[in-house]
Amino acid sequence: MADQFDSPVDVEADEQGLSGLAQMAVAVGIAVFTLAMLNAHAFAAWADGLEPGARSARISAVAHGLADQTATRGLDGPRAALKQRWDRVKAARWPDLANGDRSQR
Amino acid sequence: MLFPTLDFGLFFLPVLLIVWTVGLASNEWRKIILLLASWVFYGFWDWRFVALLIASAAINWSCARAIQTRLDDGRSAQPWLGIGVAANLAILGFFKYFGFFLEQLAPILARAGWARDLPVLEIILPVGISFFTFQGMSYLIDIARRQTAPASFLDLTLLMSFFPHLVAGPIVRASHLVPQFKAVPRLTRGMVATALILICWGLFKKTVVASELATGLVDKTFFDPSAQTGLDLALGAYGYAVQIYCDFSAYSDMAVGLAALLGYRFPRNFDQPYRSASLQEFWRRWHISLSSWLRDYLYISLGGNRGGVWFICRNLMITMLLGGFWHGAKWTFLIWGALHGGVLAIERLWREWRPEGFPALPKPIAILIIFHIVVAGWIFFRADTLEGALAYFTQLWAFRPGLALASPLLCGMIVFGLAIHFTPPTLLPTMARRVAAWPAPVLGLAVGLAILLTDAMRFEGVAAFIYYQF
Repeated sequence: MADQFDSPVDVEADEQGLSGLAQMAVAVGIAVFTLAMLNAHAFAAWADGLEPGARSARISAVAHGLADQTATRGLDGPRAALKQRWDRVKAARWPDLANGDRSQR
Repeated sequence: MLFPTLDFGLFFLPVLLIVWTVGLASNEWRKIILLLASWVFYGFWDWRFVALLIASAAINWSCARAIQTRLDDGRSAQPWLGIGVAANLAILGFFKYFGFFLEQLAPILARAGWARDLPVLEIILPVGISFFTFQGMSYLIDIARRQTAPASFLDLTLLMSFFPHLVAGPIVRASHLVPQFKAVPRLTRGMVATALILICWGLFKKTVVASELATGLVDKTFFDPSAQTGLDLALGAYGYAVQIYCDFSAYSDMAVGLAALLGYRFPRNFDQPYRSASLQEFWRRWHISLSSWLRDYLYISLGGNRGGVWFICRNLMITMLLGGFWHGAKWTFLIWGALHGGVLAIERLWREWRPEGFPALPKPIAILIIFHIVVAGWIFFRADTLEGALAYFTQLWAFRPGLALASPLLCGMIVFGLAIHFTPPTLLPTMARRVAAWPAPVLGLAVGLAILLTDAMRFEGVAAFIYYQF
């Protein structure tokens, strides 16, 4: 069992190569870029939820522009495919219940 | 502002950038930036409560100075310690328990013939108040016990306001975090890898597992138990056990990960609690920062393990009852605390009086029994009212046949949520060591794809974390 002051981040790892700070900067930058390219619609949806105003209209225009651009290049495809598969898993029911549902209809 | 939202992402990224650029030149500026960022974060709920946070820090800072002065003069620290603890309890009591006591008082006064219209105050509960007031009290007690030195006003205010732990813990103590504030933080590749894994894992547990179980099963079974089948109610109770673990441990994981990216180490708050073979072990693995707080500042203050076995049982009972009451002013929380206190006392008595040579339970059976005691407690914890909890048990006992709510996915999530308790405890550090060796672009791509996958699976919208209400 862990000591009460143990921290999960106390991990001794190979520190060769980039420093921890540089490693974080590059990794976070790439992660943000990946999400901006593959999940731009989330940014657009967030922008749609902002209080209406001139500034939010500009943000929304940029967000929707990015979402349209990435969609044109098919970059929103992986997320959409994943979501579609996940929705099928969510919709699955136990066999006898599915029969019950049908008979009720 | 909730961690698993784009709002938070757009808040955190600039803070991270500024802290690691300005903060490298001056540690004091770094702390000032973190403090301002923490107030912005807290102000997203209600700006008025930022003043409460500052006032609370100022009270604790002043009392700590007074305690230290008296200790330096060789006098007792008790008067100022009492004032400081009472001030923290007064803040907590007013915002959290005033309405409850007024509610209980009204019928008593009416019965005594003093029926009066008691003042009705719509008191808004400041988010995280239970956490920062407990932090303030432990700080004062540690100083009075000479376990830590008084912190500067900036360090103490930052300790109490630091946004990763502000609203739902872990309860980070001054002796642990203030020394870190004094030094310029250094990031290692191991810290970065662990932090990113914890953030992604926390996002998944909260937005996929906890949210799906809550909306698909748990909320429905607890809303109207009489309309549900026995199997759905049983799975609803197991589902809540998994939901509350995935919800609360997700917050802690993300808090630990976010603090680590800022250069600070938070303690572990969960350690596979459902693999416990005794309730005492459960409390060493569940909400570790609260259970160790209750042990160090309440149980030990009551006398702890000194005295006879009945005295110990009394202390266990009081500690767990107050632990229940800490969660909120409701009878269901008190019963939850009483159940845990009672079982802890029984365990203690059994250890004391167990006949010599009496065989111990096989570990898997002990784990199963403790898990079901914990699940029974969760039913009280989750139910809105005492009547609701009793109705849940009654309907569960009646066990109406059939299965209507729990889909294969929800059942799979319950199994998954329990199975992760039996993975090797070294899994996270082992993974982190491997991930730390990856080139930074590969790590960034993996993090981006992990968040994308979670986003594709997540439930629409994000409900507040369960522990925000405490």
